[in-house]
Amino acid sequence: MIQISHLSKSFTLNRQQKKELGTTQNSVLAVDDISFECLPGRVHALLGPNGAGKTTTLRMLSTIFKPTKGTILIDNVDAVKDPQEARKHIGFLTGSAGLYARLTPNELISYFGELYGVPKNDIEMRKKKLYDLLDMHDFQNKRIGKLSTGMKQKVSICRTMIHDPQVVIFDEPTSGLDVITAENIIQLIRDCKNQGKTVIFSSHIMGEVDLLCDDITIIHKGKVLYNDTMEAFRAQQQAPNLTAEFIRIVNDQKTELA
Amino acid sequence: MIFTVFKKELRDTLRDRRTIMMMIVIPTLVFPLIMSVFMSVSESFQKEAAEKKVKIGLVSNQVGSLEADLLKVPETLGKREFIPFTDTLSLVRAIRADSIQVGIYVPNNAEQLKEAMKPISVTVFHDGTDLGMKERADAYLTYIQENWKKERYAELKIDEAKITPFILAHSNVASSKEMIGKLAGGFLPYLFIAFGFMGCMFPAIDLFTGEKERSTIETLLTTPVPRWKILFGKMGVVVLSGLLAATFNLLGIYLSIEVFNMVKDPVVLQAIKDILSPTFIIMLYALLCPLIIFFAGIMIPIAVRAKSFKEAQSIISPLNLLIILPAMVGFFPGVELNEVTALIPVVNIVLATKELIAGTLEWHLVAMAFGVMVLLAVIAILLSYRKFENENNVIS
Repeated sequence: MIQISHLSKSFTLNRQQKKELGTTQNSVLAVDDISFECLPGRVHALLGPNGAGKTTTLRMLSTIFKPTKGTILIDNVDAVKDPQEARKHIGFLTGSAGLYARLTPNELISYFGELYGVPKNDIEMRKKKLYDLLDMHDFQNKRIGKLSTGMKQKVSICRTMIHDPQVVIFDEPTSGLDVITAENIIQLIRDCKNQGKTVIFSSHIMGEVDLLCDDITIIHKGKVLYNDTMEAFRAQQQAPNLTAEFIRIVNDQKTELA
Repeated sequence: MIFTVFKKELRDTLRDRRTIMMMIVIPTLVFPLIMSVFMSVSESFQKEAAEKKVKIGLVSNQVGSLEADLLKVPETLGKREFIPFTDTLSLVRAIRADSIQVGIYVPNNAEQLKEAMKPISVTVFHDGTDLGMKERADAYLTYIQENWKKERYAELKIDEAKITPFILAHSNVASSKEMIGKLAGGFLPYLFIAFGFMGCMFPAIDLFTGEKERSTIETLLTTPVPRWKILFGKMGVVVLSGLLAATFNLLGIYLSIEVFNMVKDPVVLQAIKDILSPTFIIMLYALLCPLIIFFAGIMIPIAVRAKSFKEAQSIISPLNLLIILPAMVGFFPGVELNEVTALIPVVNIVLATKELIAGTLEWHLVAMAFGVMVLLAVIAILLSYRKFENENNVIS
């Protein structure tokens, strides 16, 4: 379970960043007092246009960034006060994350298993299970740098799941992937849901959201615009489809601000 | 967990070709290469000098005893060919045109002066940039002068011993090891320091900036490993790479001596063998360790902050000069480890290593140098920790 309460994050700007952003302010507020909950056995979509604060929020959830204000509970562990303990419960998969090209999948998965404190015997057992599931046996000892994008994505999934996390964070996991590779991720998210894990998922692709998600939070300019179940979202829908509805909500807020 | 990170980073680093070149291949080959170039150049110079027939211009209006004796100088003092000139002006022109290498002017009254047992003013014309030519002419004239002196003593019935107040002899109390240590000992620490620095450079950039650039750092930071442990694991590999570069440098020296037999002089060979004792090697590593940690500690904050490999390289590479210039202090024979130089980073380790090679260590100065470097290494580690803890630096 993930419980986010009054979460904010501001970044201090250096001289060059101020120049690039064309601002004289010393800091920028990326996430502004957001609160929502993600429940076990459900997939929670986090949506928002570019620069809305999705990645910053997910980075705070995965404890890479420390919030400026607010609290995050990951399976009842305070992720702000005890990030190390919280990380044991989290699996984090992003579309942009790279892999160590000079290692083999076997070496990489074992390394992350060790970092997560999984006992050696369990690492081998879980590796076999994941390799079977993802059909990875053929390339487990090849250097990652020589693998195809699809194979690499399978390695990323394996790395994310090696410690069997209860909370899985997906940050645009299918961006830039072909249909077949993206399907592996979709299947993984379904499996996580069926296993009763808490899944939070950010994407630009409304079709994926419609297919997978049970709950939805839309954020824009760091603020929550909408937070409810997908059922409720569909029920209140005014536009002809989900994408148009998402655009309508974001535009309404822009008009309100203007 | 530090060891887990260390093990992975080491494996990753050892699979990087650039690092292998800088850490193993170049440091191992550099000493044998320098030695082979130095030896072949010096051998060819010696051979050329021995075989070269020096053309000597002779300005003299008569064929007197001096001219005759010059022609009789033994060839063991060097092959030569005398070419007569009528005046010094044409002699100088010929030297400048390199048609002769040196010139000797004998005055017209030389024979009369000799008979009167008075000194003859002989002038040697030479080109200062043509090394060894003046010495060649001096050697011929000194040979003749010594012979004439003996003839005069005999003629005047003078016992040479009676007019010689003392015979000067020199006895060098410095051992060959000390001589090599003090005069050429600066070269070894220079190599160790330069390669120690270069050995650290690529792993530091690859393990910090490279992780940012390849977006692998994000997944690493989501693991339940404290950041300081990740930093220490990575830093350990950077330091080890620097030390390995120095070690392979040492291996290169060993190979030059033991395998390739590049040092022919038995005295020098024995001195080098005495220098490369287990005590020397242990002491060398004790001095190099804090220095390499210091190097790693100044490179890592730069690598952590840099946005790309290129940016990190463009900042760290010029630092190389800042390290190499003080490391070159060891080349100057007069500069020694004292209470002041022991406080200057890099210089102190170069001079301490030099003293170590010469076997003339003063322990309190070495302790000072070591203490200064340990202090700087600790400061550099703290600085690295501060930069690595800052999320804005680590995530691009």
